[in-house]
Amino acid sequence: MVDAAAPQPFPTSAASGPLAVRFRRFLEVARQVLRNPTTLIGLIIIVTLIGMALLAPVIMTPNVPDPYQMPRDWGALNAPPGTVGHPFGTTATGGDVLYGVVWGSRTSLRMSIIVVGITMVVGTAIGSIAGFVGGKVDEVIMRIVDVFLAIPELIFALAIAAVLGPSFGNIIFALSVVFWVKFARIIRGQIIHVKHNEYVDSARVIGDSKFNIYRKDVLPNSVTPVVVQATLDMGNIVLVGATLSFIGLAEAGLAEWGVLVSEGQAGISSGRWWASTIPGAMVFLWALAFNLFGDGLRDVLDPRTEGR
Amino acid sequence: MTAPATVPPDGKTSALVASVQDLKVHFETKAGRVHAVDGVSFDIVDGEILGLVGETGCGKSVTARSFLRLIPTPPGIYAGGRIQFWDKEARQVGGAPIDLLQAPTSEMLDIRGNRIAMIFQDPGKALNPALPIREQVAEVFYQHRTEELLEGWNGKPPLAIRRAAGERARLLERVAFKVPPLRSHARRLRRRVDELVGDALAETQIPNPRKIMASYPHELSGGMKQRVMIAQALSCNPDLLIADEPTTALDVTIQARILELIRDLQHRHQTSVLYISHDLSLVRRICDRIAVMYAGRIAEIGETHEVFHEPLHPYTRGLLAAVPSFAHTRGELAAIEGTVPELIDPPDACRFHTRCAFATDLCSRVDPVLDARPGMRPVACHAYSSAQALGVATDEIPRLDRRAS
Repeated sequence: MVDAAAPQPFPTSAASGPLAVRFRRFLEVARQVLRNPTTLIGLIIIVTLIGMALLAPVIMTPNVPDPYQMPRDWGALNAPPGTVGHPFGTTATGGDVLYGVVWGSRTSLRMSIIVVGITMVVGTAIGSIAGFVGGKVDEVIMRIVDVFLAIPELIFALAIAAVLGPSFGNIIFALSVVFWVKFARIIRGQIIHVKHNEYVDSARVIGDSKFNIYRKDVLPNSVTPVVVQATLDMGNIVLVGATLSFIGLAEAGLAEWGVLVSEGQAGISSGRWWASTIPGAMVFLWALAFNLFGDGLRDVLDPRTEGR
Repeated sequence: MTAPATVPPDGKTSALVASVQDLKVHFETKAGRVHAVDGVSFDIVDGEILGLVGETGCGKSVTARSFLRLIPTPPGIYAGGRIQFWDKEARQVGGAPIDLLQAPTSEMLDIRGNRIAMIFQDPGKALNPALPIREQVAEVFYQHRTEELLEGWNGKPPLAIRRAAGERARLLERVAFKVPPLRSHARRLRRRVDELVGDALAETQIPNPRKIMASYPHELSGGMKQRVMIAQALSCNPDLLIADEPTTALDVTIQARILELIRDLQHRHQTSVLYISHDLSLVRRICDRIAVMYAGRIAEIGETHEVFHEPLHPYTRGLLAAVPSFAHTRGELAAIEGTVPELIDPPDACRFHTRCAFATDLCSRVDPVLDARPGMRPVACHAYSSAQALGVATDEIPRLDRRAS
């Protein structure tokens, strides 16, 4: 015990210590998450879909100026799956379904990352103010949040996007307006719970300022459910976004799953199932994968199940 | 340290570190106003360990937290009184005390952790689970010892480093610490933090402080966590350490070690300690003086051996009698009859009269004050008052059997 006071060689400084610990903790969480088979399946699908999105220019080399616009092959309208050059078939306007699926995943990734990024930052900021400041500020913010929550998200997003006119940017805007409230509510609840912990008092006892306490003690201990919600929202956003573009609120001809489903739906009754079923299945897969993974993540990270 | 020191008039050299005068802390609840602390007065003499003893809910923690103004102010209300505090300078040069209940927030931020430190009951809850130990102890240095962190530079350290030592570095600056012009400086600061944190931890005889620094709280045992808390609390050499039941959450074997450690460090740092506990045997081992609290009031104050050998207040007597001993190993445990009174809008009466075997009609009508009469320790009991002063008949004064029961 006494020899502990003797100086010890410590070449890499303490920074590597916590990092190593963090890495170990990460591995531990990862191991726990992946032990659950459904979560693992979710993760595999996610990795595949995101891989497809990232490699889209390699898998389907675009030959049009805007790769997010469906290329049209006017020589092969309504080609069934298996046609040479169009393995998933084509739509009534000669759009290659495989191209739409691959570049659609890129559109979905773009949409979900932008929207989750915006809503997470905005929601966390607003929810933090409400939870940390409390009192009247909290009251006012939460009533506004209640108003947002009272309107079903799909209808709300639809109304906003419809008013603004059909464009992909407007869909992103509409989704952002709708989805931030959940984050605000979650982080507020967490912060109110966390700020009554004794280590917050203990930080005050040291003479730490309020903002520092928020930054170092309150926020890091509150974000876990936000991460889980963000994962779940990655799926939900694509689901709602595809619905909006299906209705026609995205630019016509955009390589997006919802747009493709709507392009192909007229042909279903005539037996041309592929043009809408395949992109529809992609939306389903995307939403399913993120929900499976998010649920698994919650099981591991949720404070209620922690400390078993 | 004999007899309660009286508060010298402002501006004179003081032998006191703190003086609580008629402190009242109330809580507004739906059921009414709870008088959690209702007129508490005591002094803390420079260099002593003062024990504040009482049962759960008697207001001892609220009193302690008031020193640092940690009571959330709704629902809490600082309803009256003051807590004067003399820091090192004020004691030596003879400066005016600071009223901790009135001091501006900026001054409180400087006092907290620097001049007055606090250790909490449950070290498991008092450490941030998401931060490594190093950061949590370093926090004190960032807040109060920026100059010490910046020692040993040739010339003036760069502005960004000075800001980092005060924990004010912006995100961009933190990125800049990873690349050459600032990297060597940032490393040096980090080494300096390691050094100071390592020293602070080593002083608590924690095994292998370097390794502990890199750990997270959940990787440490309760005793080690409490050592970390002590290191954090004492690293700035505070004038006053408030220990709020620091060993209650620990194993008995660890308790003794932590107790020794506090005693030891208190000696070395010349820190005064306000030690809060409900455990009489612990308090007896560590404290120079003891203040017994009951239902938001001080029942009596005295030197430890006086209180233990000749308790004055009936409550203290009951409390001491209730300590189980080896002398009677069988049979029922002694207990004080009745329960603690409700503290919602208490009547003007002795708080203990409902449970007191000696109570007379006087006790339910008149509230005894903690009165230091000549030649007598302060005790809030009518048995020690004079009938004349109260203006009542002599037979109304309760008579106690003077032997300690």
